[in-house]
Amino acid sequence: MNEIFDTILSAAFVAAVIRTTTPVLFASLGGLLSDLVGSLNVALEGMMLIGALTAVIVSAYAPWYVGVLAGLAVGGLLGALMALFHLRFKADVILVGFAVNIIAAGGTVTALNYATGGDKGTSINLPSKAVPSLDLSFLDAIPGIGPVLTQMFSGHSYLTWLAVFLVFAIWYFLYRTPEGLRFRAVGEYPAAAEAAGISPNRLRTYGLVASGALAGLGGAQLAMFNFVGFTRDMTAGRGFIALGAVLLGRRHPVGTAIAAVLFGAFEALSIALPGILPRVPGEVIHTIPFVVTVLALMLSSKRRVTA
Amino acid sequence: MTNGKIFFDETRRILFAAVIALLVALVIILIASKNPLETFQTFIAGPLSSKRTVGNWIDDSAKLALAGLAFSLVFQARQFALGVQGQVYAGGTVAAAIALSPLGLSWVSIPVAAIAAMMAGAFLGFIPGYAKAKLNANEIVSSLMLNYIAYDIANLFLRLYLASPKSGLTASEAFPASAVYPAFIARTRIDLGVVLALGAVAIVWFLLYRTAWGLRLRLTGHNARFAAYSGIRSNFIMVSAMTASGAIGGLLGALFVQGQGFAKIVVGFEGGLSFEGILIAIVARNRPLAIPFVALGYGYLRQGAALMGYRTDVPAEVIGIVQGIVILLVASSFTLPGRAFLNRIMGGSSAARAPST
Amino acid sequence: MKPFLEAIGIDKTYPGGVHANKNVDLTVAHSEVHAVVGENGAGKSTLMKILFGVEQPNAGEIRLDGTPITLHSPRAAIAHGIGMVFQHFSLVPSFTVAENVVLGVEPRNGLKMDRKRAAETVQALADRFRLPVDVEAPVERLPVGQQQRVEILKALYRDAKLLILDEPTAVLAPQEVEELFSAIRSLTAQGRTVLFIAHKLPEVIEISNTISVMRAGQMVGRVDKKDATEAGLARMMVGRDVALKVTRAKPGDHPHLCRISGLTIKNDRGLDAISGMDIVLRAGEIVGIAAVEGNGQSELFEAIGGLRPVEAGSVELNGVDIVAVPVDQRRDAGLAHIPEDRIATGSAGGASVAENIVATELENERFVRHGLLDLGAIRKHAVELIERFSVRVSGPDAAIGTLSGGNMQKVVVARELSSDPKLLLVSHPTRGVDLGATEFIWQRIALARDAGSAVFLTSADLSELLSLSDRMIVLYRGRIVAAFSNTTELTPEMLGSYMLGFAEQPVHERQAALA
Repeated sequence: MNEIFDTILSAAFVAAVIRTTTPVLFASLGGLLSDLVGSLNVALEGMMLIGALTAVIVSAYAPWYVGVLAGLAVGGLLGALMALFHLRFKADVILVGFAVNIIAAGGTVTALNYATGGDKGTSINLPSKAVPSLDLSFLDAIPGIGPVLTQMFSGHSYLTWLAVFLVFAIWYFLYRTPEGLRFRAVGEYPAAAEAAGISPNRLRTYGLVASGALAGLGGAQLAMFNFVGFTRDMTAGRGFIALGAVLLGRRHPVGTAIAAVLFGAFEALSIALPGILPRVPGEVIHTIPFVVTVLALMLSSKRRVTA
Repeated sequence: MTNGKIFFDETRRILFAAVIALLVALVIILIASKNPLETFQTFIAGPLSSKRTVGNWIDDSAKLALAGLAFSLVFQARQFALGVQGQVYAGGTVAAAIALSPLGLSWVSIPVAAIAAMMAGAFLGFIPGYAKAKLNANEIVSSLMLNYIAYDIANLFLRLYLASPKSGLTASEAFPASAVYPAFIARTRIDLGVVLALGAVAIVWFLLYRTAWGLRLRLTGHNARFAAYSGIRSNFIMVSAMTASGAIGGLLGALFVQGQGFAKIVVGFEGGLSFEGILIAIVARNRPLAIPFVALGYGYLRQGAALMGYRTDVPAEVIGIVQGIVILLVASSFTLPGRAFLNRIMGGSSAARAPST
Repeated sequence: MKPFLEAIGIDKTYPGGVHANKNVDLTVAHSEVHAVVGENGAGKSTLMKILFGVEQPNAGEIRLDGTPITLHSPRAAIAHGIGMVFQHFSLVPSFTVAENVVLGVEPRNGLKMDRKRAAETVQALADRFRLPVDVEAPVERLPVGQQQRVEILKALYRDAKLLILDEPTAVLAPQEVEELFSAIRSLTAQGRTVLFIAHKLPEVIEISNTISVMRAGQMVGRVDKKDATEAGLARMMVGRDVALKVTRAKPGDHPHLCRISGLTIKNDRGLDAISGMDIVLRAGEIVGIAAVEGNGQSELFEAIGGLRPVEAGSVELNGVDIVAVPVDQRRDAGLAHIPEDRIATGSAGGASVAENIVATELENERFVRHGLLDLGAIRKHAVELIERFSVRVSGPDAAIGTLSGGNMQKVVVARELSSDPKLLLVSHPTRGVDLGATEFIWQRIALARDAGSAVFLTSADLSELLSLSDRMIVLYRGRIVAAFSNTTELTPEMLGSYMLGFAEQPVHERQAALA
């Protein structure tokens, strides 16, 4: 047991949490933006997956940042596609989202098959690039805690810092700008927004596009930093966990970010545990993030009912 | 609306979906294949190329019908529980455990395993239902999480207790013949599973349209607040719908492992088929009696895609793209001719909701 | 002088086939209060929706200051200086008054929204047009009358020259009506024009300069204030001399049937909607609740109907407390409920009429045996009720969502009355229902009373309450502040001062009327 605590309390673990949280955090912030204007985006998983593959393939032929932008763009396009079918053609948003997930699962394998010339499992023979990491080793100079800070915060992806910035940017947007006011109005009472001359469907479209773009960024981070290269179904439920973080975060960017960190921490734990507890079966450890998500959802929802 | 008209509408709808699916597949093949004509021919005619492939088609269709049935039951109650995959793994594991136990040496293992698998699936279906009813936890996320958990636990169980060392711990020994569903046509996968699937369709239809429970479930799905106001215990209905759907998912697990297709349990035996039940349910508009036909039609395409994957340069996974696009188009309301007119009427009635003075 | 607004030959048929406006003309002068009156279903709302761009006419022309304009959306109408306040407010509950008013046209300061300027601008508008309201308060905390002011401020903030008010007095107590009228006068004094939809004639005559009358989709007359009389307008509106009359309960012995004691109910925000209510309901009697919207009447009916938990107290039906009992058992004990919203609560739109009718009877041996539906009996029962209540529908298998408002309400009323209820909750029974159906529904409720039901009635329409009730109580902020026997002396004004909380009846008078 002590070993677990030692691990959790170590600077290396904090660094691992930051790393595992980043993709989920992007997707959760995206999910928040679409949920806030009234369309629950269950396609985060598929958007991440397609974003990841696109980023990998593009980065094999272009600079890393072009790969990242491609992941973002393709996610945004998928969001626009969802908006088209959900808002214009009135299809149920959950069904549309699942259609995107299904297309993503089959489509990424198909596309990978072509991009690699026949490999349906991984992109190992593609020379894809990684997102560079930001060196903060100057923190070492701080007396006492400097080395610890370096270990925690140095060497993370550029995208990690973008995600942190986005938490505050989205908060500022929602609570300080006129457009944010409109976003919240549509989320709380669309009829009021409509009467005020705001088109709820236009904002819902923006929400879905933004959620796709952010999920795409999450995918890019996953396949260009956390792992370098694409493997079939590599998101492995992270998009759904992000959806859990949205529900847990009470429609607030900071709440959503905290929930994403919680899930990221348990994912990091499930990565660290096999080394510490070799006798616990890997399958059990693997379930930890999912179990935690279900439990967190149940417990938090219960509080809301009784409150 | 008369039954005749419903039948006509549904048939037209299903045919429309089939046309879309074929067109989408054709376009993908044209883009992707170096030899599109041959590839498309394999896709279209492949399933009929031998007795074995026909059998695979029918067997897949039976499984798809069960998956579609499981989804349609919760969709009719307007619940988006998506846990069929996990239920299949739970049911398959339990069925395999019974088939490999001493009980497997007797035919009794077939009904016993089916019932045990249904109970395991029902339990997994019950959890998100109960969590929603009592704790207000979103059923989409909780049921999806349970899929991942069930998959891991099934693999653990397989590795520790059921697997044979020869397989590298990824599959069990073949079940004893007495624990495998008998085939109706030799050397095909057409087996008892087809009968079980059709039986389940009939039972679900009867439950939904001839019992008070079914009417309660459908009314809850139409308007949960109205149901509560009428005295329907909608929480009970919701939980029981998810549990019953879970039982169907569990049964599907038994069909997988005990059917002629595997006759053993293998890691990842479900192969993603469960989620294809969403497509079946949507195209059939959650009507049980339409499900077998939709399943046969989609099963054919699926089989064609699988053969295309073996025999041509287009991977079988393209079926996922076809499937997703069909869901998008069928769930949308611009699809059928005459639909626009219907929408205008619906739009009119929603305008009439405002106090019309 | 050139007219300000002209609508010429407006014709509107809804896709469902309802011909709501037939070649309607309307001319409104500058800076006047112009009332459009008519019964429910006469086509007033449709005409106003066309003038505000919500609905598109099939034919006709709209001219503003002599120039033809096209109003393809509310945005276009707003751009032309037309504002509208609907009966159902469109305010974001958690936003402040200022946020609600500026929403969509926010003052900004760089990226940021300029909150200070928003509050100042709204405050200045409120002062100028005599619409006092706390601009920093969240609207969910405001009473209905003030929420209406926020709606008017929204239109004025968008610089509306023509303000359309759709039945603005329906949700107000008589004294609040006076405040609204003084605001309207200040608006016209400052050059704004007000188009006022109503059906309460005394108010209309008091506030309007000109009155246009609609009946059955047509414009049937136009009267100047000086020539207007209530009787004359009423005749034009209805086309015949009718006054809906319902006979009072027969005097005699009305045994106690339902005793409500110490009942406390919380609203959605966790505040007391009803606190410590005591009242006894008697068989064969209608008790009406007069209250401004949001004073606990909705929560009271939801709680008795089983859709909302009770915090404290009891509701005894024939001596048995039903507070902790599930809805199906309450219904078995003799409860029936005509809810305030027939679409959201009273029906399942996608299900058939027959399924909607049998929904409350799924424990009844007549329709369900051993858990199996007797489809024949269900169908027969539905056909009977459709005939008995003259519901216009193709058959029992039609989806209820395809019916018109009045017919759908008839199905709901038919279902609820068919169980011969002991306690009948009735909420806004004729909202959005045409005159013929109103008369029919009133008679059916009176028949149920004569058959021995205790009827508990609430309505936003005081005249409906005064026509039907044998006794009346007034709710203010979740408490009974007055109770009366419904005699001819009882007037809307008397009820109004209690509804607004200006007065409270001496306890002994109230007790006498509550027992």
